[in-house]
Amino acid sequence: MLRALIIGGGTMARTHAEIYSRLPTAAVVGVVDPDARGRRLAADLQVSFSESLSGVDWNAVDVAHVCVPTPWHRKLVVEIAKQRKHILCEKPIARTLADAEEMIAACEQSDVRLMIGHCVRYFPEYMRAKELVDAGRIGRVAVARLFRGGSFPPSDTWRDWYANRNWSGGTSVDLMVHDFDFLRWVLGPVARVYAKSTYGESNRLELTLATLRFQSGAIAHVTGSWAHAGFGTRFELAGNLGLLEHDSFKAGAVFHEATALPAHEDMQGVQVPRTHVHKSPYQLEIEDFLHAIVQDRPFSVTAHDALEALRIGLAVEQSALTGMPVDL
Amino acid sequence: MTRIGILSTAHMHAHSYMSAIETLQDVSVTGVYDEDAGRGRQFCAAHGVPFRGDMEALLDESDAVLIAATNADHRGFVERAAARGVAILCEKPIATSVADAAAMVQAAESAGAPFYMALPVRFVRAAAELRKFVRAGKIGRILAMTGTNHGYMPGGWFIDRAASGGGAVMDHTSHVADLMRWIVGSDVVEVYAEIAERVHNRGIDDCGILTLGFANGVFATLDPSWSRLKTYPTWGDVTLEVVGTTGVLALDAFAPRVHVYAEAEDGQATHRYDYYGDDMDLWMVDEFVRSVRSGQRSDTLATGLDGLRALEVTMAAYESAESGRPVAITPWQP
Repeated sequence: MLRALIIGGGTMARTHAEIYSRLPTAAVVGVVDPDARGRRLAADLQVSFSESLSGVDWNAVDVAHVCVPTPWHRKLVVEIAKQRKHILCEKPIARTLADAEEMIAACEQSDVRLMIGHCVRYFPEYMRAKELVDAGRIGRVAVARLFRGGSFPPSDTWRDWYANRNWSGGTSVDLMVHDFDFLRWVLGPVARVYAKSTYGESNRLELTLATLRFQSGAIAHVTGSWAHAGFGTRFELAGNLGLLEHDSFKAGAVFHEATALPAHEDMQGVQVPRTHVHKSPYQLEIEDFLHAIVQDRPFSVTAHDALEALRIGLAVEQSALTGMPVDL
Repeated sequence: MTRIGILSTAHMHAHSYMSAIETLQDVSVTGVYDEDAGRGRQFCAAHGVPFRGDMEALLDESDAVLIAATNADHRGFVERAAARGVAILCEKPIATSVADAAAMVQAAESAGAPFYMALPVRFVRAAAELRKFVRAGKIGRILAMTGTNHGYMPGGWFIDRAASGGGAVMDHTSHVADLMRWIVGSDVVEVYAEIAERVHNRGIDDCGILTLGFANGVFATLDPSWSRLKTYPTWGDVTLEVVGTTGVLALDAFAPRVHVYAEAEDGQATHRYDYYGDDMDLWMVDEFVRSVRSGQRSDTLATGLDGLRALEVTMAAYESAESGRPVAITPWQP
């Protein structure tokens, strides 16, 4: 039995924790969170609760999930690494490259494995797209178009941290980093980026449009929006032999019109995509994390991949701020 | 009776404009001039209209002309028509250089000849409604836009740089750049572009992404790629999403369609889109004929100057892709 510690009590912490109820050989043993949300999560799971890492019985823990706002990633990952526990940390890996590098170094030093939750790699439509491109079905990719967006994360998250770009990194670092990781996975390294954003727009609206040029010559256009409604994703990959397209707004296998808000009150934070498959992408991600540890094989998405995705996100942010293309 | 001449049938839209004329009342076709007489005679036989070898004589008998020449030939035809004072509706893009476009606009201006561009997306009912909604404040203040004009690779002279002036970016920037300007009521002042040849291997650009900055602070991206292959269910698209402070408006101009699943003659399974929406060319030609008949300038048709503004975006895109930097547009002034 693998024993997991959940750090955090918000939407992603609850999403990770709930996956464990479906895993026969692993269980959540505790929740750590300075916030009342974490206390409620621990009560719901009937596991131990502690307000800080100092209250954790590390002998009873095998792995830790870091599901807290991005600016806390470095501090927590470095502390957990000292306890020699493997870590699944939510994306983006960190707000800065320095933080990310320190996290990776701390884990390497303690011989601890660090995976970053780039869950899009476990979404079936993105996995299928990767398989189709690798199989040569659309030939050489020429232009990719990706959309990821919805409404601005609500203000009752921890200190409204998404609204503070110094903490969250905004659309380019928090949201589009999924697409940057996916594109890098499929199309290889990025040569340069150019972007425009509505940074500074009041009324909780942020929209970033980024153009990526890959070393291969391929071009990608990525929309990251907290200025739309609901949540959804789209992609189109156009190659010299064919084209792939997917629209999450049209891919629902069952439709439900909500007339009330049935979700748990602590899960009305950031939007979590729903996928109608037996195993959710988050379950696939957590299973992959746990299996890789047990079987001592590499993670499908490494901390280095996450660092590179962050590097693209930061370059996009820099381009949007300076108005100039940024070379990577 | 409004008398219309057709100058050149190099562009396939000549057929579509001709079909539009055929449905209109009180319009006669004075004839077709074509620098390629064989092609012109074929066109005339197909539509039952006279071929005219003497362009000046044709212009003498016409109130207006439709020009469907190659991009590089637009200037010559527009200048000759303008010199005779006839009204002009010219295929897009206006020309292959801003200098040519400026000469055309000035020639029409000094001759007093009405000079319009065939940018028919303004005549898609949904586009006009989107513009009306935006102007009525339905989505608040505009923040940004994303547009696409994807298409098949058209082949022929479109991939001959001497005749076309460029590939996908030259062919497909005008429509959406004009639509965006028409909607935001502001000019493009800066362009960044990534442009490549990766789809067709025909020695000319076939894909790209343009980023446009408008004078009023709005920004936008435009995808003009020839990224639709014969396996795609339709020739291409025109889409525009406008994101505002209180909402989003999205246009998919060719969304009115029936999906057709059928066997091709060789037994292959096919899936095609069959578009049943408005014929935008028809409504554009109708507006052109009305304005010629009434003698009133149209306030809906794109003008030669609108065409020039769209070409400024196109040329800045090529310059940006070449230099790797954003390019500032200094708008040409008459």
